Amino acid sequence: MRSLLIRIFLSFWLIIAITIGIAAVAGFYYSERSRVAFENFEHGDTILEASVALDKNGRDGLVQWLKNLPGTRNITIYVLDEKRRDILGRRIPGYIARMVSRHRHHLPPPGMRPHDPRNLRRARPLSQLVSADGQVYTLIVSPTPHPPYWGHVPVSSLLFVVALIVSGIVSYLLARAIANPIRKLRDATVSLADGKLDVRVGTSVGKRRDELGMLARDFDSMADKLARAAAQQTELSQNISHELRSPLARMRVALELAKRKAGDLSEFDRINAEAERLDKLIGQILHYTRLDSNPQKEPVQINVGDLITEVVDNVNYECKSDGIDGVSVEASFDASPTMHGYPDALISAVENILRNAVRHSPPNGAVNIRLSQEGATAKIEILDQGKGVDDADLPRLFEPFYRTKEAPDTGTGLGLAIAARAIRLNGGKVTAENSDEGGLRVLIKLPVS
Amino acid sequence: MNMDHHTTNVILIDDDRELGVMLTDFLRPDRLELTVCGSGEDGLECLASGNFDLVILDIMLPGISGLDALKQIRRTSDVPVIMLTARGDDMDRIIGLEFGADDYLAKPFNPRELVARIKAILRRSQREAPESDRLKLGEIELQPRTRRASVGGDALRLTGTEFEILRCLLETPGEVVSKEQLSERALGRRLLPYDRSIDTHISNLRGKLEQAGNHKESIQNQRGVGYLLIPGE
Repeated sequence: MRSLLIRIFLSFWLIIAITIGIAAVAGFYYSERSRVAFENFEHGDTILEASVALDKNGRDGLVQWLKNLPGTRNITIYVLDEKRRDILGRRIPGYIARMVSRHRHHLPPPGMRPHDPRNLRRARPLSQLVSADGQVYTLIVSPTPHPPYWGHVPVSSLLFVVALIVSGIVSYLLARAIANPIRKLRDATVSLADGKLDVRVGTSVGKRRDELGMLARDFDSMADKLARAAAQQTELSQNISHELRSPLARMRVALELAKRKAGDLSEFDRINAEAERLDKLIGQILHYTRLDSNPQKEPVQINVGDLITEVVDNVNYECKSDGIDGVSVEASFDASPTMHGYPDALISAVENILRNAVRHSPPNGAVNIRLSQEGATAKIEILDQGKGVDDADLPRLFEPFYRTKEAPDTGTGLGLAIAARAIRLNGGKVTAENSDEGGLRVLIKLPVS
Repeated sequence: MNMDHHTTNVILIDDDRELGVMLTDFLRPDRLELTVCGSGEDGLECLASGNFDLVILDIMLPGISGLDALKQIRRTSDVPVIMLTARGDDMDRIIGLEFGADDYLAKPFNPRELVARIKAILRRSQREAPESDRLKLGEIELQPRTRRASVGGDALRLTGTEFEILRCLLETPGEVVSKEQLSERALGRRLLPYDRSIDTHISNLRGKLEQAGNHKESIQNQRGVGYLLIPGE
């Protein structure tokens, strides 16, 4: 997955891990240098000098000597008295204290002469000096501890793991702080594209005072403009509907008046039929336009089987009353799925496809509609006994005003386009193919819930 | 108000004046005298001052909308109302019925169909009273002759269509009456495909009965068949 979250997270984490690694290597390098300096240190000379200082001026001499010792960066010299305290009062690293207590038994045997060079015991790194008054001093040469002193710390690998985990968590939180608002914005954009024009991000992302917050506020103002435009469009189409239909209404009354005066002429019937057709077309165009703008109603739970039963009853009724030669629709149900959606749109989809099938049926033909379910998909299959469609026409069948060459000139050219839109509004898909028996098979797939 | 001899007064509330003029001409041979009002306000004024047997009300009006006019009419009168709606606008149709319209007709309509609807509703008002002049079930009581309805003795206000539907159901309590029958009896016309008018009137009727305090008898839907009135325990 190449999401922003993962990418930001991994880059931060990688950078932190590299930093930790460099720090570890640097620490190791320093401690290694100290160790090398320590190992090359001339103990003999230092200890002799200390010994001379002690001999000359006792403890004070030794303190003086230690204070004036030219400092080296990587080496520290501690001198401990018998109470194991540094004579300069410095804090002694724990490992030295442990070392000293381990070496207690190396104390010189009593009665040893102070001036005898034999009073020097080289117990590296522990050298002991005995003063004239018999006080024993321990001289310790130690590499200067460099924090982090990992060269000597056995927990280093555990520490490294902990550092990695902590830095991972921090990186993740940081990455999420950036990626989350972006994802919210994206979700909002998707909803907007789906026609939910009331989606806004002002209360979540829009509260941020950074660039993302600005983007969110810009998104909201864009959505406002879109919603206004859609509302205007709906209003406009309603006005158009009214304005186009008023003359039609007058025309039909005028036509009936003319019939009374002039008697029944076949031309009158023709005018009437055309007026009716024009009215139907206006209705279909409006319906088609409205399906694309945001639905005003809330989606509800639909029993697909009941809905089909109702539509089939109505279409059969229409067939009878319109005098279509004995064509009937037969429904069969292999499942009874329910779904969440817009029943009015779904009704018009099934109805338009069924009407289309009826129109293309031979006299006394049957249209079969079958409902089944496959996993989370409800399938509605509508099969007629007509002649089918040229394979080349199939992909364009659901386009508005697309007509096949053989199509009877009775439809408005919008029925299947309305069906496709209505099904898409319900989250489904519709396809058409020629069946092996010769008719057209239309397949609707809908998400069940 | 006998159609064969007298003129029936119909009021048309529609801002399309030319349509009004032509409809006036068209309806006259059927002894339907049309008064045309161009706005809801004018229409309500006309209705208050005159005696009309039926109202034809366009849903799209300048000023107060057709629905608001309908609500105002129903506050004081049970006069039959036919709504003119835009075809394909399911919302408007059903809402018209929900607010007490008796029937609706999609515009542009065939004027002969309008005449048929007007006559169907008027015929209903004039049907001879049946032998029984009192129908009673539980607390619900109907007096078809005087067109009075009551629940538990309290008067219940119903539109003409609601009254007819309840009468049909009361005549055969516990038996299913088909939507076709109800449409023929209450609206005087056959049921059309996708016709939800009966369902909407039933829903209004249920609401009124419940509001009047009747919870024992209930109108139930038999899917795909029709409706029946279940007597209370």
